[in-house]
Amino acid sequence: MECFTVATGTAISETELIKRSKNGERNAFSELVCIHAQGVTNVIYRMCGDVHIAEDAAQETFVQAWLHLASYRPQTSLRNWLYRIAVNAATDMLRKEKRILPNALEDLQLSDPQPGPEAVFSQEERTALIQKAVVSLPDACRAVLVLREYEGLSYHEIADALDIPLGTVMSRLNYARKLLREKLAQKLFLQVEAEHV
Amino acid sequence: MSKHLTEWLSSYADNELRGSQLQHVEAHLAECDTCQAELESLEGLSDLLQQVPTPEFTPPERFAAQVSLRLPHQKTATPGKKILEIGWWMIPVGLLVIWIFMNTSFLVEDVLSTANRLGLLANISDWMMFGPPSAADWSSMLGQFGVLSGNSLDLAAYTEVFTRTTLPQISLQVSIALLYLSWIAVWWTRHQRQQHGQLIEG
Repeated sequence: MECFTVATGTAISETELIKRSKNGERNAFSELVCIHAQGVTNVIYRMCGDVHIAEDAAQETFVQAWLHLASYRPQTSLRNWLYRIAVNAATDMLRKEKRILPNALEDLQLSDPQPGPEAVFSQEERTALIQKAVVSLPDACRAVLVLREYEGLSYHEIADALDIPLGTVMSRLNYARKLLREKLAQKLFLQVEAEHV
Repeated sequence: MSKHLTEWLSSYADNELRGSQLQHVEAHLAECDTCQAELESLEGLSDLLQQVPTPEFTPPERFAAQVSLRLPHQKTATPGKKILEIGWWMIPVGLLVIWIFMNTSFLVEDVLSTANRLGLLANISDWMMFGPPSAADWSSMLGQFGVLSGNSLDLAAYTEVFTRTTLPQISLQVSIALLYLSWIAVWWTRHQRQQHGQLIEG
């Protein structure tokens, strides 16, 4: 299958595609899936750390979007609306799978048993460690962190996507970063906030 | 030195501060080594997170095809359903119109009756008057059922007026109110179902 705009060489606006999708045109919806597939899958992957779970949850996200397209308000961003469904789908999928445990960070086998400033990790170990630290964050603040760090959403966009107040976005992001630094500090010797602050 | 501004540093690092708040943080950072170090740590964390590469996902076209296979048939609004939907929303409007018309009629009837009693409508045609002709028929009918057979003339007159004018008015008002409340109950049930559906999104 080839995306519609690519196949026909005609650029159709997202608004038009949404309108057609609402009228039940599956091809128009497939085009929307093409546009947002990578973003949605990436958000879920960053939330769960597993490509297969991410793709499965991403597909479920689009199925739910199709079923509830009538409730989508055109005034809001489709991407943010999809991200909201994606975050919920990722959380649900993780609960069902139970393959990734909250204390996954502890399960990681490192090459250096006593990490410190002199510890040398391979790049793979390093990225796995960071990824697992992100995954082990509480659901609410992990979603905010992922949307900010990996999707580059502004605070307003995150508030819109997750339907939470702006102040909550800021506090959850602060909390997520604080937790992450604490988790990674011992392993990667990341500078941690001074004790007296 | 003023108090550390650690809670604002994330927003500062994300370029989310504006105006006086931004100036305040910048001024503080210029003279606070602790907050400066904290900011560098936050930026370091952000760099660290970016080190995790994005894996190779299924290409969008193939992914879209896979999604398409999983899509159930969407409920699309057919013309018949649209007409039903419009009709559904016309119910409360219709009830409101009937209610207004009914009350206006009663009011006009009362005004005309009063004016007639006062002799202000002596020259008006009989057909415009609601009372006298039908009142005679009504009294006759009530008499046949023995309703007006008591000893008190006042009670008989009151019963006649009550059954002829007030009772139908109350019945109509109650009927309209019941229909309206029933409509609200059905609307609320439908609304609850829709909200349940939307829970999946958030």
